[in-house]
Amino acid sequence: MSSTRFRMAGATLALMLGALAGCTTGEGVDVDGADGASAGGVLNAAIGGEPDQLDPHKTSAYHSFQVLENVYDTLVEPDTNLEMKPSLATGWTTSDDQLTWTFTLREGVTFSDGSPLTAEDVVYSYNRIIDEKLNNAYRFGTVKSVAAPDPTTVVVTLNAPTPNLLANLGGFKGVAIVQKSNVESGEVTTKPVGSGPFAVDSYTSGDSIRLVRNDNYWGEKPKLDGVTFTFVSDPTVALQNLQGGEVQWTDNLPPQQVAALLDGDDPTVQSVPSTDYWYLALNQAREPYDDVNVRRAIAFALDREAITKAAKFGLATVNQTAIPQNSAFYYEYAPFSHDVNQARQLLDQAGVSDLSMDLMVTSEYPETVTAAQVIASQLEAIGVTVEIRTLDFAQWLDEQGAGNFDSFMLGWLGNIDPDEFYYAQHHSGGTFNFHKYANPTVDRLLDQARTETDQAARKQQYDQVAKQIVDDASYIYLYNPDVAQGWSKQVTGYEVRTDRAIRFRDVALAK
Amino acid sequence: MARFVIRRLLQSAVVLLGVTLVVFLLLQLVPGDPVRVALGTRFDPQTYEALRARAGLDQPLVVQYFNYLGRALTGDLGVSFRSGRPVTAIVLERLPATLSLAFTAVVFATVVAFPLGILSAIRSGSWIDHAARVFSQFGVSVPDFWMGIMGILLFAGVLGWLPPSGYVALTEDPAGWASHVALPAATVGLVTASILTRFIRSSMLEVLSEDYVRTAEAKGLRTRVVVLRHVLRNALIPVVTVVAVQLASLLGGVIVIEVLFAWPGIGRLTYDAVQARDYPVLQGAVLLVAALFLLVNLLVDILYARLDPRITVR
Repeated sequence: MSSTRFRMAGATLALMLGALAGCTTGEGVDVDGADGASAGGVLNAAIGGEPDQLDPHKTSAYHSFQVLENVYDTLVEPDTNLEMKPSLATGWTTSDDQLTWTFTLREGVTFSDGSPLTAEDVVYSYNRIIDEKLNNAYRFGTVKSVAAPDPTTVVVTLNAPTPNLLANLGGFKGVAIVQKSNVESGEVTTKPVGSGPFAVDSYTSGDSIRLVRNDNYWGEKPKLDGVTFTFVSDPTVALQNLQGGEVQWTDNLPPQQVAALLDGDDPTVQSVPSTDYWYLALNQAREPYDDVNVRRAIAFALDREAITKAAKFGLATVNQTAIPQNSAFYYEYAPFSHDVNQARQLLDQAGVSDLSMDLMVTSEYPETVTAAQVIASQLEAIGVTVEIRTLDFAQWLDEQGAGNFDSFMLGWLGNIDPDEFYYAQHHSGGTFNFHKYANPTVDRLLDQARTETDQAARKQQYDQVAKQIVDDASYIYLYNPDVAQGWSKQVTGYEVRTDRAIRFRDVALAK
Repeated sequence: MARFVIRRLLQSAVVLLGVTLVVFLLLQLVPGDPVRVALGTRFDPQTYEALRARAGLDQPLVVQYFNYLGRALTGDLGVSFRSGRPVTAIVLERLPATLSLAFTAVVFATVVAFPLGILSAIRSGSWIDHAARVFSQFGVSVPDFWMGIMGILLFAGVLGWLPPSGYVALTEDPAGWASHVALPAATVGLVTASILTRFIRSSMLEVLSEDYVRTAEAKGLRTRVVVLRHVLRNALIPVVTVVAVQLASLLGGVIVIEVLFAWPGIGRLTYDAVQARDYPVLQGAVLLVAALFLLVNLLVDILYARLDPRITVR
């Protein structure tokens, strides 16, 4: 009896070994016999995690938007300089009172299943977000109504002038135009139907999502036959996949290796400054952090260069305000030199000594864990003992919401308009103002800038906001990280974007 | 026998009922709010309330539990909080990957452990015995994720024999399946093999010192015959249990290894569900794993009765 089982096991092993010997590494790319760069083929891309779901209005995960960027369209979309350009809408006019925006839609646009996309679909999509209070409802805060007088016209009526309406309607795919029947059948979560360059072909839970070229696409047809996204959490493994040829693109690179990879030419690795910012926030509902001198002392005690070097291996730009240099709204202001004596004096003024500060970071973003250790050693120099608490993100968010922290470190990702950089975080009624900053001047300026239609005046208001926030050390800004992505030599026509949108529509894959 | 099986199945149902309650209560104790995770930093109180209500999380706990239980009895384990898809479908579609990893790992482990364990028992004190002990010690003490990364760097990176990660269904492409399962299964199997080797060795040594073995040897039987006919059959009975328990524990998914190798099994599902505090999926995954565990145990008991005439099931 036992001997037969041995034989069976042996046979299984022999089978396995035979299969191993017979397989080659790296699935060859299926090329449809054509020649040259327009050979089609399927691009394999490794992303760091699985989308929670594919309904663009309900997901908030970056991994979802990496996929959906290629599946859906918005009325307008950001170009490489993050200026809003026509997409589904070819043009728009604004009434004199700035309260009525009229969009003209592109003719002959269809969803990937061939059904027409009309103004009704735009109205349906926007009303769905507003009525069901979905994640991006806040972007429609000033919208009174959305109407479709005819199939190619959308009229958005506002309660107040909204200079950043275009950014709200096209900043990212969370406000995409969806298909009513696809939503009502519930298929939108796994088999969404959009009008973008690719369409979802299949979704294997835990493993991959396959996109195929949308032959009904209104724009220039993609050269690729399709894109397959696989979910590889471990950056070392993702890089191994890229180097071994199993994937041709990934953004999940080990941070400590990026600098070396930037110098090589295979794989191609490029980085650009992003619009994200990372910061330290002190809880102003707690003593002594309600004292501006204490907050400024901590801002003076930090050596941002050292923090950035440790946390990002140099792949970031130190910044003392939120908005990065490459934005039109950048405001050059850096009052905090690394000055331990100044920091000590400020603490003395505040009458604070032997301070023990709790610093909350999350394993979801390992850079916060690394940065916390550097921050702790720097604050030790001014007599502040930092107690680092590393939590998983769910618990971290709980604690933050309940105000159970002295300080925390986090980042804001993918912002375009200055309103996104400042309002929710620093307005006393802001939805993300968990550190309880309240300054009437800042409140007034933020409300004013929200509806200011004169660009120059608006820029000035945000400059004032930025200066005040930095002076008050509402957030102690640290750096703007770079976006680094890598792809194989076969890939042409791809570029890294500062808003971290992943667009494969212009990409070609050589043999 | 039939009565025994029926009674065991009824007991299992009671255990599973207990599992639903314990898991439900444990999840209430775990800090972290699924709605907050779903919203991330784009937090808006109105959206928060709407989402909570949609998920039924604003109901009292008792109501939540009995709603869940009532639906579970009809085979409906609710919908995932993250994706809005039925939990039953989500959990079942992850089963093939976990089954193939678990079974391949156990096959790998037995193929390695049986010869090693038997030889080191027969040649107790020889170099092969020492080598086997070093191997066991190594396998048990080295962290499996490190072993996995080393395996990837060697077999996928340096040698280029195997893909570094990913999964292909057996039904779709057997060769592709084998090449993808080899590394994760070997990584998991190495740990299992270490445990098994020790166990087989000690079990063999115990039987070797029995009186009937000395009798057989005194009769002048050759060592090979003694070992194969008398020792092995008796020594392997307890080993069957250990193999089964190891298999059952692997059926729960191997979280670290599945995450490392991008393997779409129950382990990775559990990991993602914990991160998102996706209660319905976690409950579903735990229920499935518990049910598998009970089933494997039942099968082992039946097998035992077959193997060992001294044991009868009642």
